[in-house]
Formats: sequence, structure tokens, C-alpha cells
Amino acid sequence: MNYRIAADIGGTFTDIVCQDVATGACAAGKVLSTPENPALAVLRGIQSAVAKDAPVEFFVHGTTVGLNALLTRTGAKVALVANRNFRDIYTIQGNNRGEIFSIRWNKPDPLVPLEDTFTVRGRIAGAGEVAEELRLEDLDRLADEARKRKYEAVAVCLLFSFKNPRHELAVERHLKAILPGVEIALSHRVSPEWREFERTSTTVMDSYLAPVVRGYLDLLVGELKERFPRGRGLYVMKSNGGVMSAEAASRAPLQTLFSGPVGGAIGGRALSADAGRPNLICIDMGGTSFDASLVVDGSPTSSNEAIVEGLPVQMSVVDINVIGAGGGSIVWEESGALRVGPRSAGSVPGPICYGRGGTEPTVSDANLVLGRLDSSNFPESELTLDADAARSAMETLGSGFGMDAQAMAQGVVDIINAKMADAIRTITVRRGIDPRDFSLVAFGGAGPAQAAALAAELEIREVIVPVHPGAFSAWGMLQTDIRHDLKETLFGFWDALESSEIEARFVRLEDEGRDQLAGEGVAESAIAFERAADFRYLGQEYVLTVPVPGGSLDMAAIRRGFDDAYMRQYGHNSPDARVELANLRVTAVGQLPRPARAEMAAGEAAAPRSREVYFDGAPRETAILDRAGLAANDVVAGPAVIEEATATTLVPPGWIVRLMDGGHLLMTFGEGE
Amino acid sequence: MTSEADPVTTEVVRNFVTACAEDMNAALWRSAYSAVIYEGRDSAVALLDSDGNMLGQSTGVPLFVGAIDACVHHVLDYYGEDMSPGDVFIMNDSYMQGTHLHDITAVGPVFHDGELVGFGAARAHWGDIGAIDPGSTMGSTSIYHEGLRLGPTRIVKAGEPIREWHDHLRLNTRLPEVSIGDLNAQIASIRTGQRRLSQLLAKIGVGTYRAACRNIFEQARRMDREAIAKLADGTYRREGYLDDDGIGSEPVKVALTLTIEGERMIVDLEGTSGPVAGSVNCGAVQTKSLLRLAYKTMINPERAITGGSFETMTVRIPDECMFNAKEPAACEWYFTGLGLLADLMISCMSEAIPERATAAHYGDSMVAAFFSVDPGRGQWMAIEPTAGGWGARADGDGESALINLVNGAFRNISAEVYETKFPVRIEEFSLRRDSCGAGRWRGGCGVVRKYKLLEDCSGALWFERSRTPAWGLRGGGPGKGPQNRITLPDGAVDRPLKMRARWFPEGTLVETETGGGGGYGNPMARPFPEVQTDVRRGFVSIEEARAKYGVALRDDLTVDEAESAPRAAS
Repeated sequence: MNYRIAADIGGTFTDIVCQDVATGACAAGKVLSTPENPALAVLRGIQSAVAKDAPVEFFVHGTTVGLNALLTRTGAKVALVANRNFRDIYTIQGNNRGEIFSIRWNKPDPLVPLEDTFTVRGRIAGAGEVAEELRLEDLDRLADEARKRKYEAVAVCLLFSFKNPRHELAVERHLKAILPGVEIALSHRVSPEWREFERTSTTVMDSYLAPVVRGYLDLLVGELKERFPRGRGLYVMKSNGGVMSAEAASRAPLQTLFSGPVGGAIGGRALSADAGRPNLICIDMGGTSFDASLVVDGSPTSSNEAIVEGLPVQMSVVDINVIGAGGGSIVWEESGALRVGPRSAGSVPGPICYGRGGTEPTVSDANLVLGRLDSSNFPESELTLDADAARSAMETLGSGFGMDAQAMAQGVVDIINAKMADAIRTITVRRGIDPRDFSLVAFGGAGPAQAAALAAELEIREVIVPVHPGAFSAWGMLQTDIRHDLKETLFGFWDALESSEIEARFVRLEDEGRDQLAGEGVAESAIAFERAADFRYLGQEYVLTVPVPGGSLDMAAIRRGFDDAYMRQYGHNSPDARVELANLRVTAVGQLPRPARAEMAAGEAAAPRSREVYFDGAPRETAILDRAGLAANDVVAGPAVIEEATATTLVPPGWIVRLMDGGHLLMTFGEGE
Repeated sequence: MTSEADPVTTEVVRNFVTACAEDMNAALWRSAYSAVIYEGRDSAVALLDSDGNMLGQSTGVPLFVGAIDACVHHVLDYYGEDMSPGDVFIMNDSYMQGTHLHDITAVGPVFHDGELVGFGAARAHWGDIGAIDPGSTMGSTSIYHEGLRLGPTRIVKAGEPIREWHDHLRLNTRLPEVSIGDLNAQIASIRTGQRRLSQLLAKIGVGTYRAACRNIFEQARRMDREAIAKLADGTYRREGYLDDDGIGSEPVKVALTLTIEGERMIVDLEGTSGPVAGSVNCGAVQTKSLLRLAYKTMINPERAITGGSFETMTVRIPDECMFNAKEPAACEWYFTGLGLLADLMISCMSEAIPERATAAHYGDSMVAAFFSVDPGRGQWMAIEPTAGGWGARADGDGESALINLVNGAFRNISAEVYETKFPVRIEEFSLRRDSCGAGRWRGGCGVVRKYKLLEDCSGALWFERSRTPAWGLRGGGPGKGPQNRITLPDGAVDRPLKMRARWFPEGTLVETETGGGGGYGNPMARPFPEVQTDVRRGFVSIEEARAKYGVALRDDLTVDEAESAPRAAS
């Protein structure tokens, strides 16, 4: 027997999904996370999933080590080198105000303060020409300070280095000589893209996180050396939704920044293929959080820049929309009005029903009063929920509004569902998408309980609750390929550029990608490339990334492709306007072998049972079913509750449920009752 | 029959009106043709009730908070019952809507089962409106220099565009296709609001909706009343001077008196200059909108703005006043005086709300523009407002290098983008040392931005606030005002703040320095380590640390306490 394993490391628990390569069958489980040494949980997870000597050919995990170091500001001590007269770029940032009605807003603290920023004379100008010679002696002060201040890394970002790296390379040579043992990151290597503040921010973040992430990966490879000699077979999720080998991650630690959160969106891509649904709205609802992501035409939507802790990173990332409405959202009264959120009780003290000292009523308390939750929705906490405390809180709150506990609880749930639906609608409207054309995918501990009500708000008629909804991210990780993004800024009018020059640059980027993949042991036959380019109309500032077909370049067709993409995104276009190219991009994909999907077999159904659940203010006797007991042709009409180890699916009246290929639950509206 | 709405429905509707406005703005940004709208976010949208009371709004420019309802009232007054489903009206008159003619406001009624239930409205900045100069005129002295002027005008009837009006617009702008494209984006925004509202009404019914709206108005009123009632009654007065009116050189007085009486706040602009010849006059509607913005920064700032907000504030503007523009006053640069007006208002409120006190900010958009035509680039224009320093607060330093209050989402153009697109080299972009007002809490620093012209081209500047730079509060010192220097290749030097377009030869260096923010409290109470950090980071020079803060620093930037003044109690 040979296995493939994925681990999604959360704050409290690590979800594990293990696949038998011969049969394709997957099983989910979880172990306690070990925040002080995340590698331990990984190791335990593998041990819990397979026998000690069982071969594991592929192990992938999403790590939050880099992100946590950023959130807790525990990265490396970094010095920054900038051009003279541009020392303050990284502190000035974008000039824009984060909250436009606030006069008290402050910019995010940079990871390197001004006293650790050093400047050097020398200037590359707009065409890549040297406008002023480099004066390396200016860096003598850095050498002095480095001894006093013990820098672990130096980030170097000089203007126009993406056009001509000569000055950055000279600074690197010089610093290596005078600061042996200090890591040096050059901006044209970390992010060969224009915009000096964003590139500086990206380079500094790389320097800041590299030692932490590398330390973790070295530890992991060391701990697992028996099972994965020299780290072979060990993979890490990337922010762009692909995977990379542990060794590649060690060379590009910044790419692991969203390694953890990205899992859910990747699950969406796999599910899209599995279920034959190209367009999905994926919602991940835990006890205290609510994230949404979109799959459009089979791929998760992504961006070429992310903002984290207020600081930009020039990096391809899958879009995750964090919506501050979850089970922990607090219900409160203000000037005679009823409010839900945006404040959250979090997991500590948490909702009143957790019994951990929470005193403010929350959405989870309301759901409990309505009979829509039980302890199985909170697998991460092994809680016994205190229904009496929740009911009494709803009663107290309701008395101020002349409502009983049930009506109050229903009202709270109605408000939060309307708010979540509004938030999802806004995400889709911004992309010119109508949510009614999408299927809703619900996962996370609390997602499947809310999904039908949310879908009704959005007028979505189809909800999918995937297999292993509580470990969906880990399941998705098993379905990914290696993906490397390469880019180059090339600015010019499209009508004035030579196709041969663009072709040569694409080929150069592809060669670079091929080398990386070959280094990770990917066979030539499993390598594919996706080309893309960033375009805009003359006079515009921001760009639209458009796929470029492989093969010989048809400049006119690529141009039309931009016009078409612009029409889809913005509802109009300007085919007669001049178009500027800003960047060329190549994604190098290394396809990983995957077993065929397993056939699902129904397990033993437990004895029939039921309980009272409130729907639209009225109690209904509701059948409680075990998901494992459902067979391929079963049809379940609401009202019903479908239970499994990690989640509870609520099927309101009017909805029916059947199994899809792959074992996912398909819930549709309008056929029942 | 009057329906009721329970607290749950009221809250669902309250969330809805805000979300609906967000979606309307998203639809506008998504489909606008002009970069100033979809990137500069120079737009605002609102959902209103059938009497034109604002319910929910979304704006990219804080300046537009609460100015759109006036346009809907004008449409209602003008057309009354003569409205049908699918109609759209536009207007831009400076005296009716308060801003410059570039801002076109579109208004569409929403009907449900034949009954008028509300309005959607979308305002957007059009790039060209047929004025004497392309883009923004700088020397206008009359509204008739500033372009096409429209009162409430039906442009779409029952869903059908009215051809002659569309042609009329096309004939009066240098950018006909872009302008009609932007108009269509505004209409798409209104349609988004209509569709969303119809979906809601189908669910909850018109009667319940109206009742929920009444509750929303009442709750917002009550929240504002409660907030004002907590403040000490009193009268607070502030005044300052604009550098000039945009064409002359005489200072222009701006005065504001704020009275708090129980649950009411009264703002009176008595004492402010009358109408001026240059284009810095501003319509009363926009003046009120600006005062609402200043109010909002201090009163319930974290709450969404819904119908009923601001009713606790009464604004009195003298009949003859630069902030009550009347025909034929020029208004193109109407926002020039608004930064100062906002600072005066915030300082008055700071006396009534000491725990939120905030000193004045650098206070102007400080625009630098360069443009020309050449065969390679065609017509090019590099134009941007410049960031500066913000005022210190009762509990913290002011932010440095941040865009001014009336703007919001604007980001500086990166040097690498600037130099790639335009024949200009950015020679410096840095914090302007010592521009920050001293205090227990320090003001923010302005910036230094230097442009070297690599080819012959035109340049223009519009910098305000040198006569009344950002002042401090409670013993805090003022920030420095702006200053510019233009050095021609022959060595001749000029120091203009406002400068109409001039032709400059290759090699000209234009150095701009924006103002800093005011300080708060006694500088002698600022602890040694904070002054030391200010010097290490380059906000404050060694000399100013000594002169303003009484802190002596050695060469290695350690504090020489024996040589320093003792720290005062803060």
C-alpha cells in the first residue's frame, strides 16, 4: 500500500486527509496542533493516518509559520538599502488613507524602521541607463551599524533594478564581502516588477520571513528524514494555489505566506472539476470566521498583488475574501436598534454557550436555540454546548424588543444571513458576476448548517457540501500540481513591440520555470506552461492580466483577447484605443500523478431518529440522518439534519438532498414538499 | 394605513441600504470609462427615499459625503409627478449641487407596482465638460468660463435614451465617447440600486420598507443627539486665511463659529470673505457636505452614514459668502478653501471633545501637473495631488505623508511608473524634515518631491495654506506651510505656489515641499526617547530637537540629559 497525505495546520487542530493510491479512497482525521513546533503535529498526523512502515509517496501541507511570524512581528532583524533621496519610500507607502472618514488612521508599521534604512548614491533611470554612478563607500555606515545592531538579513531595493540589475548586484557583492553570514535579498530577484514601494515591501517581507520559514522547513526535513530522505516527497502549499517541493520553498520562502489559508480555495478548484460545476462560490465558516472565495470557469480567482497587515506583496495569490461575520459575531443594542457584529467574541471567551466566560450573545447562541447546532459543529473544541445559557441570553435580549427567545434567535440568524449575502453579492458585483449563476459550496464546521439559508438569500438554487467538509482544505491539497510563477516588466505600446522580442522573453521565462521544475524531479513530459500578459488602455493606471495562448504569437489576436477580457470584466471596451503592455507572466506547471477517484460505498445507517428544529419561527419535527449511511440513489427531502464527524448539514423545508459522484452532497431548492 | 417594521427587519433594511450603495458604486467603478472614476474613485452614489432623504451611500471621495440628496430634491422640485419608471435625470450646476461643473450627478426614480418608492443617484467626475481649457481651467473668473452647465435635465425617458440630449452632451465635451461611457456607467449604477431595492421590496413589501426607513432615520437621529448632548455647551470660534483667491494675491478670510446647545450643533460662517473673483468659490450644498465630513470625523465616526445622520447640525452661511456661491461666481477649484474650513471646524469641536482633539493638517491637495504633446506619447499629462503631514491628537502623533482630508483613496504615482511614462525624472521623494509641528505629540511631516524635466513641457502648480499653515493645539506648535522652487537651466529661480500652465525648457528642476501637521501639547513634555527616535528617523533635526523640544543630542544621537531641559508634565 502506498499513500498520499495532506495536512492543514490550524490554530488548534491539524486536519489530515490520507489517500490510498491503489484505490483512491480518502479518509480524514485530526490531531492537536503544536504551535511551538508545527513539525511535530505533522509528524503525529502522518503516524495517526498510516502504519509506521507504510510508504508515503507524497506529503503536502499548508504552513502558517510565515504568516504567524508576520502577524506577531517575530521575523528577522532586517536592514534596508535604498537609493539616496528615496530612503523614506517604504515608510511613506502609498499616501492613501486606509479609512477615508478617519482623521486618526495611522499607516501600518513598516517591518524595517527608518533608522535601519541606509542609502547609497547611484541611479538607474527609466530606460535602464545609468544616470549616476554607484558609490559603494556609502555603505560603510551600514557595515558599522550591522555590527552594533546585529542584522540577520539585508533587503536591497534600488530604482529600476528590474530593468538593469547592475547596481543591486554590485551592492550584493560588496555586502557579502563586508557582512559575511548575513542573508541578502535583491529586489530584482524577489520581484522583478515595477513600483518601488510595492517591490521594496515584497523584498523586505522576504528578508523578514526567510530565516523563520527556512528554520521550520529544515526542522521538518530533519524530523521526517527517515520517511522522506533528503526531503523527497515533501511538498508545501504556495500562495498561488499550487504546491512546491520543500527544497523549492526553502529557496522562495515568501511563496509560503498564504500557504495555510489558500487550501479552501484550492479545494474549490478540485471540486469544480470533480462535480462538473465551473462556477462556484465557496464559503468557509468556522466557529468565529467566515471566508469566501470564487471559482470562475474552473479556476479560483487570483490577483498579482496581495495586502497583508496593510503591506503590499507583489506575488500571485488566490483571492480569499475575509468577511467579519461568523458564529462569534456579537449581538447588541444601540439607541433602540438591534445590531449583529462586526465585533466578534472569537473563540475565547467565545459565545455564551461555550461556557468559557463569554457574556455577550452571539450568532452561535442563536443557532443553538433554534436547534441548528450541536457539539459536533465545534470539533476543534470538544465542547459541550450550554443550551440553557444561550436561551436565557436570547430571552434577555428579546425582552428589550418585545420578542421571545425563539423569535429573537431567528431574528439574529436572519440578520447575519442577510449581511453575509450582502457581502458575497458585493464581491461578485465587483467582478461583474451574477451569484445566481453559481453553485454555493459550504464547508468548515459551521458552513453546512447555514448554507441553505444563505443560498436562499442569494437566490442560488444549488448548494454543494463536499466530502470531508471539516477537512476540505486538506482534501483540496491532494488534488494540486506544482505551480511556479515567473514575471518580467516589459513596458511599451503593443503596436510598437516586436513579436520576436516578446517570444524570446516568454521562452526565457519558460526556460527558467523548466529548470526549477526539473530540479524538483518533474519529468519533461509532465511540464506545461501558461502564458499571460498585463495590459491596459492608454491613459489607464492599473492593468488587466490576460492569458496568452501558447505557440507562435498572433499579436492581433492577443490584442483582441484583451479587448474581450476587458468587456467581460468592465462591461465595455475600447477596441480602437492604443494598448500598453506592462508585464509578461509565465506559470510553469508540473503535473503530479494522481490516483483515480474511489467509488463511494454507503456505510451502516444508524437507527432513525429525529428532533425539534425551528424553521421560519415554527418548530418542525426533523429527521436526523448520518451522512455515512446515505447511498448513491437516496433522495432526502427537507426538513432534515445530516450529521457527520466534522459538520452538520441543515436541510430546510423545500430543499432536497442527493449524493453526487465523488460523494459530495447536492442540495437543491424547489423540488421538495 | 401605516405599517410597522420589527427590529429585525429594520436592521436587515439598514444593512441593505449600505450594501446596496456599495454595490451601486462597484457597478459604477466597474463600468466607468474614465480612470479618474474607476481608479481615482472620484464618485459617490446614494440610495434615497421617495422624498429624497438619503438612506445609504458609498463614496470614493470623502468630500461628497451627504451632498447628493440636494440634487434629488432639485429633480423632485422641477419634475414633480412628471416621472416614470426608467427615467434618468442629470445635473451639474455649481450653485444647485455645490461643486464644479465636472461633477455630473445622475438621478433615477425607483417605482414598485407603479408607486414611487425611492431614488438611486450616482455622481461622477467627467474629464472634460467643454471649458475654456482642456481638463481643469486655472484662471476662470466666471462660471461661463468653466463649461456646460445643466439644471435638472431628463436624459432617459422610460428606459429610452433621449437622443437630442445625448447629442447635446457629445457636442459640448472634448471627450464625447468617454463622457457618454461614464454616463452609461452612472445609469448602470442606478439600475443596480433599482434592481436590488425591487428584490427587497418583493420580499418585505413597500409598507414595511417605509416603516423600517422611518426607524432607521429615528435611530440615527437619536444616536447623533445622544452624542451631541454629552458635549459641554459652549461657543467656539476660529478663523484663518487662504493665500489668495486663485488669481489675485490678497489673503481671503475664512471664519467659523460653532455653538453647542443641548442636542444641537450650530455652525455659522459669519465673518468669512464674500464671493471672490477667482475660482475658489463653493456652492452652499458642498459647503454643508464638507462640514458634515468634518462633523463625521468627530461624532460617531465608526458608524455607517444613513438617513437621519447630521440632523443635529444646523449650518448658517451668509448670503454674500465665498461658500455660498451664486451666479456668476467661478467654482472650478471649489475645494481649495474646504481643507481650511474643515480644520477650523475640527479645532472648534476639539475644544468640545478634548479626548478626540486633533490639530490641523496640511490641508490642501497641493497639485503638481506636467503635460505636453509629442509624437511618441501623443498628448500626455502627469497630474497628482501631493501628500503632507496630519495633525497630532490628544493621544498620538500625527501621520506623515498622507493625502489630505477631502481626498481619500489617492495613491502617489510611483517614481518608476512616472519616469517610464513621462519625460520627467523624480529626483527625490522623501519626508520633509522639521516640517512637523512640535508638541507632546508631534505633527506629521510633509514631503519633498522633486521633478527634473527631461524634455520641454508645460507645468502647473496649485498649492494652498502658506498663510495659515496647520496650527497646533494646547501648546503644540504649527507645522510648516508649503514651499516650491523652480530652477531654470540658466539658474533663474522662481517660487510660485499657485501657477497657471507655463512652458519650461528641458533641464528645469521643480522642487515641491508640502506642509506638515500641527503639534499637540507642550513640546517640553515629549519624552527624551521619543525625541531621540524622531531625530534618528529624520522627522526632526538635531537643531530643532534642541530649539523646539529642549533636547540636546550628542553626535551618536544619544541624549545629553544634563544639557537638556527637564521634561514638563504633560
